[in-house]
Amino acid sequence: MNQLAIKELLYKIADDQLILGHRNSEWTGVGPTLEEDIAFSSMAQDKVGQSLAFYKLLHNMGENDPDTVAFMRNAEQFHNCQLVELPSGEYDFSLIRHFLFDFAESARFRRLSESSVKDIADVANKLKGEIKYHTMHANIWIKKLGNATDESIERLQSALNYAFPYALGIFEKSPFETDLIENGVFVGEAQLQEEWLEEVQNVINQTQLILPTVTDEEIKYGGRIGKHTNHLQPLLTEMSEVFKIDPTAEW
Amino acid sequence: MTAILESLDPRVKRMGITAENLNAFPTPPENDQFATYQVIIEPKEGKGYESAGIVHAPDAEIAFLFGKEQYSRRFTCSGMAVAATADVLASPFTENKISVYDLLEYASLEENNSAGEFYEVFHLYKRGKQHSHWGRVKAVNPEQALYEAKEAYDHSKPVYNIWLIASDNIFFADENIKQIWDTLPLKTHRDVRDYKAQDKINAYKERIKSNL
Amino acid sequence: MYGGGNSFEHLDLDRSLENEDPQLLAEFEARIARGEKIEPSDWMPALYRKQLIRMIEQHAHSEIIGALPEGTWITRAPGFKRKMALMAKVQDEVGHAQLLYAAAETLGKPREKMIEDLINGKSKYSNIFNYPAYTWADSTVISWLVDAGAIVNQLANSKGSYGPYCRALDRICAEEAFHLKYGHHSVIHLSTGSAKQREMVQAALNRWWTPLMHFFGPPDKMSTHTEILTRWKVKMSTNDENRQQFLDMYVPKIWDLGLTIPDPNLKKNETTEKWEYTEPDWEEFKRVINGDGPCNKERLAVRRRAEERGAWVRKAIMKPVEKPVTPLA
Ligand SMILES: [Fe+2]
Ligand SMILES: [Fe+2]
Repeated sequence: MNQLAIKELLYKIADDQLILGHRNSEWTGVGPTLEEDIAFSSMAQDKVGQSLAFYKLLHNMGENDPDTVAFMRNAEQFHNCQLVELPSGEYDFSLIRHFLFDFAESARFRRLSESSVKDIADVANKLKGEIKYHTMHANIWIKKLGNATDESIERLQSALNYAFPYALGIFEKSPFETDLIENGVFVGEAQLQEEWLEEVQNVINQTQLILPTVTDEEIKYGGRIGKHTNHLQPLLTEMSEVFKIDPTAEW
Repeated sequence: MTAILESLDPRVKRMGITAENLNAFPTPPENDQFATYQVIIEPKEGKGYESAGIVHAPDAEIAFLFGKEQYSRRFTCSGMAVAATADVLASPFTENKISVYDLLEYASLEENNSAGEFYEVFHLYKRGKQHSHWGRVKAVNPEQALYEAKEAYDHSKPVYNIWLIASDNIFFADENIKQIWDTLPLKTHRDVRDYKAQDKINAYKERIKSNL
Repeated sequence: MYGGGNSFEHLDLDRSLENEDPQLLAEFEARIARGEKIEPSDWMPALYRKQLIRMIEQHAHSEIIGALPEGTWITRAPGFKRKMALMAKVQDEVGHAQLLYAAAETLGKPREKMIEDLINGKSKYSNIFNYPAYTWADSTVISWLVDAGAIVNQLANSKGSYGPYCRALDRICAEEAFHLKYGHHSVIHLSTGSAKQREMVQAALNRWWTPLMHFFGPPDKMSTHTEILTRWKVKMSTNDENRQQFLDMYVPKIWDLGLTIPDPNLKKNETTEKWEYTEPDWEEFKRVINGDGPCNKERLAVRRRAEERGAWVRKAIMKPVEKPVTPLA
């Protein structure tokens, strides 16, 4: 099996989680209610923790240690989808992104838990319960706010309209797609997108929101091959500001 | 847009603080008050449920989401329940080795066991501690539920306060979602044991000594 | 039996002690003297209720505002270990605010009202959080030493007489143990690390020493002493006792790392077994408490903005409660 293909798969998973966890931590201490602040912060920590688990797998495959990988690369070296790097905005956008992303992640982990690569399947299995809370949280909130006041419905709808083309970018195909599918490592992005769409649609149907129609050209691809919005590099610069004072030091 | 506030926190710079924020807060909205829910946690399989505290939430579903991260984000957890504070019936408090049950006069118990509903019974064994779940009884009303509980309880310890919650008003986590607590033991970053560094101090002192 | 907690009624907090029912007061004092806790539905003197609300509320505000100085470094924490720890640590502080507001609510003041009083500048919070965290090292010094100071206070208060406050503090103290260890771990790494790291942490310690000495409040001889609050186990220790305990526990640990405490007069008097030190500038303390510290404006503005940004969320899910009840325990 082509090691590069597996690495590419792991990098995009880990990078997605790190960047989204980082973004969501911007709400810690300033969330909409004390309890939601705590819940959202936990999920941000979970994301960063999950990324670490995947960077460790990569490290076992010969890549650099997790800190170096996470804190020393530039934007073009990151494989995350563009959705996760967008600024946190208001809570409507942060919540919609969390909903769209975590349902994709939950579907991905469900499939990865059947992977022919045992290490990957193990990690995916281990983290399943954690992700269950994330989708539960997203599900409940989207249903509440998507049926509540005119303001909340309108806010979620415009956040959804903005985020959806980026969300479809999660499923940008890997150059090794066939390889991964044929070797039973992963079911592939197309299949994943189908499963995701069904679940997302199912939640949206229970609200007064409408899933926007997006043409193929409108989908925000590029993140997986290092093409990012200009929001990613400032994020990375900020994240590594202290680390880079002395990358060889122990902090 | 010029930043009104030159904060050291990049997160704060992105919050869009306005001149009003710096000086005064606009009148708060009327009725900004949520109900409270009591959160009841089982820390470990078989350990029993114990009251943990409250959350502010509009309904039980959100109370559950909130309770999970406020009261079970560390160590282990095997179950959780929430009930609106308004749905908890509380007895008066006693003290000084007098059990609430001692003050309870016997009434004739209804024989008809098919009637009535279930109540979850919580006991407080020590003032200042948390209420723990003792069991459930079936009764036609809260008063009868207390007598039923008095009948069934072994009175090994005085009970200083009793909570009754109609079983229909308390929401326990379903078996199939309990996996949400599976990874708690992996969350070592929240645990003191992850931060040992005495060897660093020792090595540093050695270094200083050998440099002298 | 009664349903739920007590309702948030108008509380007569100004009833004077002389007007309390003498028999109820005697029972109340006997309960405390026996070492039993007071629970929300127990009778209590108005002064007891008033003092506790004030104290617990201020404590809660200190936690939620206390999340901000360290929050400064959440997105810049160096490396995975620090990144996750700092997120969890600041999260805990928000959690502490939640627990403490709940304890204060059992006494009859709604959380919304407390938050309103905070952002309108009507309530106080711990002065120390009005200082800025200039560098990463500041955040580590806060995690270690400010939390150490808070633990000294909180441990003392957890032996107090009010049940809900004690329960909240038991939970809080358990979590503080992690904060303390994490903070110490981080300071150890900086102190024993590169020259640059040592310089950072020494500079941070220099900045935080005065606020730390202020943290425990004015010297006992300067503050009004209330014998009754001690008897009622509301005030569990004096400012100087807490300060002495802090110095006793942490000065040796700071020295152990080869760091210099910016007070040439700091030493333990072997005869009195008390620490001697230069009095910190109490005029500065007063100035900052009255709003004129380096970050007072920012802290409140951030809280106001946070409330404002969250308003639509709360409004959307709000279900008006007919008669709100206080938490039970
Ligand atoms: Fe705290
Ligand atoms: Fe703390």
